Amino acid sequence: MKKTGNMNIAELAAFICTHLNNSGIKCILTGGACISIYTDNKYESFDLDFIDCTYRSRKQIAEELGKIGFIENNRYFVNNETKYFIEFPAGPLSIGSEPVHITNELVFSTGKLFLLTPTDSVKDRLAAYYFWDDKQALEQSILLSQSQRIDLKEVERWSKAEGQINKYKQIKKFLLNKSK
Amino acid sequence: MTGNLITPKTKELILIYLAGRKEGYAREIANYYKMSLSPVQNQLEHLENSGIIYGKHSGKTIIYRFNQRYPYYKELIKLLEKVLLFLPESEKVKLLVTRKTTKKKR
Repeated sequence: MKKTGNMNIAELAAFICTHLNNSGIKCILTGGACISIYTDNKYESFDLDFIDCTYRSRKQIAEELGKIGFIENNRYFVNNETKYFIEFPAGPLSIGSEPVHITNELVFSTGKLFLLTPTDSVKDRLAAYYFWDDKQALEQSILLSQSQRIDLKEVERWSKAEGQINKYKQIKKFLLNKSK
Repeated sequence: MTGNLITPKTKELILIYLAGRKEGYAREIANYYKMSLSPVQNQLEHLENSGIIYGKHSGKTIIYRFNQRYPYYKELIKLLEKVLLFLPESEKVKLLVTRKTTKKKR
């Protein structure tokens, strides 16, 4: 097994995910880290945002992460050996007002990683753009559409359901032209 | 006001304030309710960590609004709008009519 400090973001996320899963804590990776992984680090994130689908207490999670060298530091969990840090945004696993039921699985030498699908990752980033006016999140969604096959019909349906169809129409061409 | 559905009281008051005014910052909310700043700041932080509201820096001030990415956003707003209906008329006017303060010219 590689040392924590030598793992790339995907390997580390898989290592953490597997460790927590073995302890009965089912976690799904979301946010910018998914973009890093799907775009082969064309966008670099250091923040591993996991949603705990089993609603364990912060104390239980801290205990488990402590076993693999991550210690609590305000809202994050950090490890001196790695530049990556972990955060647990509040659940449930959702994108805007819709729950997420289907996730992706990627296997690495360090373990199995559960994460948002590429299409849901685009929706997740677009949510940040729609509701927080986060332009960097829009850039991430475009970058992702260049690297992965995205179901744009689903993105359009979801945008409409969130009341954001006009904003979607404005940015659709960027996703459409570059989508595989 | 929500029959102890939302506790502690400070959190409930903050949510009602934000439902009425759409946005607010810690000192403004504390002044409005004549409360100490610290519990308001604590609850704002708690609400932000829970994904219910989000803060955006405006200079040194953090302006908070409801987070539309929160999965129960629409339902929460609906509940709070109903709570606003039950406020005494004088409270409603005070809350919903935002007073913009202007700096006096020196």
